[in-house]
Amino acid sequence: MKQLLSKISVGSLVVVMLVAASIGIFSVTSLQADETCMSPYMAKITGQEDFVYVLTLGVEGLGDGSDKLVTIDVRPGSKTYGKVIHTLSVGGRNEMHHAGLTDDRRYLWAGGLDTSMTFIFDIHSDPAKPRLHKTIKDFVAKSGGAVGPHTFYALPGRMMISALSNDKDHGGRTALVEYTNEGEYITTHWIPTEENKLGAKIEKIADGYGYDVRVLPRKNVMLTSSFTGWSNYMMDFGQMLGDEEAMKRFGQTVTVWDLHARKAKKVLHVPGAPLEIRFAWGPTHNYAFTTTALTSKLWLIYEDDKGEWQAKEVADIGDPSTIPLPVDISIGTDDKTLWVDSFMDGKVRLFDISDPFHPKPIYEKTIGSQLNMVSQSWDGKRLYFTSSLLANWDKKGQDDQQFLKAYEWDGHELTHKFTVDFYKEKLGRSHIMRFGAYSLYGKVPPSAVSN
Amino acid sequence: MSPISVSIVKKKGVILCLVLFVLFFFSKSLISDELAIRANLDDLALKRTKKSHLGLPKVPFPDDNLPSVAKIQLGRKLFSDRRLSHNNTMSCAMCHVPEQGFTVNEIATAVGREGKSLRRNAPTLLNVAFMAPLFHDGRETSLETQVIGPLLAVDEMGNPSAGYLIEKIKQLDDYDDLFERAFGRGVSIETIGQALATYQRTLISTHSPFDRFYYGKEPDALTSKEKKGFHLFIGKAKCVSCHLITEEYALFTDNNFHDTGLGWYNSMVKPTADQFIRVQLAPGVFTSISREVVKSVGHPRPNDLGRYEVTLDLSDRWRYKTPTLRNIALTAPYMHDGSLSTLHEVVMFYNQGGHPHDNLDPLITPLRLSKEEIEALVDFLNILTGDNIQELVLDNRSEKIGNPGAIFHPKVTCPPIIGP
Ligand code: HEC
Ligand code: HEC
Repeated sequence: MKQLLSKISVGSLVVVMLVAASIGIFSVTSLQADETCMSPYMAKITGQEDFVYVLTLGVEGLGDGSDKLVTIDVRPGSKTYGKVIHTLSVGGRNEMHHAGLTDDRRYLWAGGLDTSMTFIFDIHSDPAKPRLHKTIKDFVAKSGGAVGPHTFYALPGRMMISALSNDKDHGGRTALVEYTNEGEYITTHWIPTEENKLGAKIEKIADGYGYDVRVLPRKNVMLTSSFTGWSNYMMDFGQMLGDEEAMKRFGQTVTVWDLHARKAKKVLHVPGAPLEIRFAWGPTHNYAFTTTALTSKLWLIYEDDKGEWQAKEVADIGDPSTIPLPVDISIGTDDKTLWVDSFMDGKVRLFDISDPFHPKPIYEKTIGSQLNMVSQSWDGKRLYFTSSLLANWDKKGQDDQQFLKAYEWDGHELTHKFTVDFYKEKLGRSHIMRFGAYSLYGKVPPSAVSN
Repeated sequence: MSPISVSIVKKKGVILCLVLFVLFFFSKSLISDELAIRANLDDLALKRTKKSHLGLPKVPFPDDNLPSVAKIQLGRKLFSDRRLSHNNTMSCAMCHVPEQGFTVNEIATAVGREGKSLRRNAPTLLNVAFMAPLFHDGRETSLETQVIGPLLAVDEMGNPSAGYLIEKIKQLDDYDDLFERAFGRGVSIETIGQALATYQRTLISTHSPFDRFYYGKEPDALTSKEKKGFHLFIGKAKCVSCHLITEEYALFTDNNFHDTGLGWYNSMVKPTADQFIRVQLAPGVFTSISREVVKSVGHPRPNDLGRYEVTLDLSDRWRYKTPTLRNIALTAPYMHDGSLSTLHEVVMFYNQGGHPHDNLDPLITPLRLSKEEIEALVDFLNILTGDNIQELVLDNRSEKIGNPGAIFHPKVTCPPIIGP
């Protein structure tokens, strides 16, 4: 059974949410939509997903060597369950990284961290066979120098894109860039730096770096995190660990923005490269989690009782001295659990976050020799994992496994369902996943007709 | 963090730059003003190649490539054009960043196309007009031909061929007839090289406190500690025997090759010496990780044999070209592989007598400098920064960075000049 919370005009959705929040009638089940961690403005697949779309990085000498969007059938009972049913090459190796859906969920945007090429896939015309709808080639020129479009986050009728670098020095100073859903450039918001604080209050330092972007509309808050610039994210990981200068260039900040005004308000000090940001969904839960990749810590970004946003380190992820390197995180719909993938040890860890200030590790499992992304279904029962972090950061030799692995979670144990070996299939490095479903577009799966 | 600290840029430079800055940024809407400022910058650039500079020799250029405004404009444009790489990501300026002393302060060794790691640190291009031969191993003889290297190297800008690049430039609207104007002929590897060489020859920077003290005969240009450092440099520490200073000018290089032990040590000893490496995770937060872990996520760096790679003469193993020390305060990290982060580390390295081994240059011996002497020497190295750095940065940034789809200013039209 699939549900669709969409196609309400976005403005009215905001109003509804604000009103609902303020009078406290927002029932816990109504909008905790997270079939992993989508924008609150977006339609959700609350039942069974039909497809997992996997952004895949081309590998020189493997298959056509090109980046591609891979579609995997995950419909239980389908003849092609657990199989690749479609691949769409986009040409070149662009260091494809993250991808995000528009609020109407008709298009999937994906960005190349190297070339800044941005690909817009039509996933609604035929959800089983995405097609390339539009390619934005002038992201850098249009944005005024932002390089490496990363998170594509749905705002009403627009995409908020956080970049990672810039065209002046390939360092970490960067910007948020807004586009319309149609792919037209709107504006650029640079992230505060020491020299240009843009009116923000600086807790300790303003590095101007970027990574993820997330919003909490009912609090009019937008958060951005901070990774590193092109020179680092493109560099061989081993070389970088040995490069003292490079290791000094990682993000140390989470910036709190006024969402509607798009104005930076406060730059929090979160050293160690804070990456993914996940807001809690509960109507009174004014907080988000992030993890710092290098220092392997779980951080809470929260509103204190004076209405001020703060950052606090709340847990270790594994043994930080061994650099587990936490990467993707996924919050449960009830704000009680948080899955944390770590790259180096290939593990997923589950934290009990019912007390957000004192998260406790309650479960862990090794998924592969390396691990990056995790996506869970809306009901938290199905989890999907992929392996690639960045082309030149992935492990070398035997440990460079590239996969999508599907699991079921019964509240106690992860049970393996299927694996797609992305090297055996000559596809490449498997990165971010997004779910697709016929029901989103009022469509009936072709097989259902014959069923 | 820009390494350019205003304090080192002396008054004259500051005023000039402020004027230019104000004019440049507040006249964006007034195209004609902008053109005027750019023309002014062009004019200054051309003058830099022609006038005499305190502490430097005459700027040399080949007879068949005399400087002109048209060549400088074109070279500057090519220099910052990311479209000159196969996948539109790398320009010369991405590895020779104007705000970072025309090198990169943020990484020890350069990173090229698709993140390929190079073995070496990008040298500064400030005063490169006086450097010959070029590269850490001296494999190149002229700026005109040097550009072929990065443009075609798979791990730098990665163009499939020279012809491919030439065709690509021909198809970029904004290059229009710029080559014809500058050279009286079209795009070719030769004219690309000549334009870039001409622009790079404008990156002259001198009139440092040292120049004013030594060549300008201003005794107050240096503090007593800096003077002490200077005397160590030319005396007890023997630096001057390779980093030359003459009566007329100082390039701070003999343009020759020496083995300080650093290359040998970093190739032959270091990779196996310690099982663990120290890694900074956040400011003040360090951990040690084993080389095994590093290996699991990295390709080992191929050995670097220095000058030997060019001459194949065994006695040239681990010899590297003596770099200039002008503007050294701006160009960290140091040495051919960027393995020393600060000038203090460099001086400590010399003080210990480099890394002794068979081939070590006889001039490298333990110096037994006191703590105060070390500090004084570092202070001296810090006063070799020219007074026009801001001007050079502004000059470079007056040209829009070439990106796919970029819309360019109407061109500055200077009369077509062939030759000087
Ligand atoms: C990927 C980074 C990268 C790019 C792009 C790059 N360079 Fe360099 N450059 C370097 C490195 C590294 C060296 C030193 C190489 C060596 O010694 O083997 C160097 C050396 C040089 C030198 C020699 C300087 C000296 O003092 O010996 C010059 C001149 C130069 N580059 C100019 C250019 C120009 C012009 C371009 C654009 C056509 C360019 N570079 C593009 C990294 C780069
Ligand atoms: C035997 C000749 C020789 C002597 C003596 C010498 N140097 Fe050097 N210097 C070199 C060479 C060669 C390099 C380049 C080494 C490399 O790239 O690995 C260098 C590199 C440097 C650098 C780094 C430059 C850069 O751009 O990376 C500094 C700074 C420096 N020397 C300062 C000094 C000082 C200070 C002294 C005196 C204490 C000194 N040198 C003595 C030959 C010498």
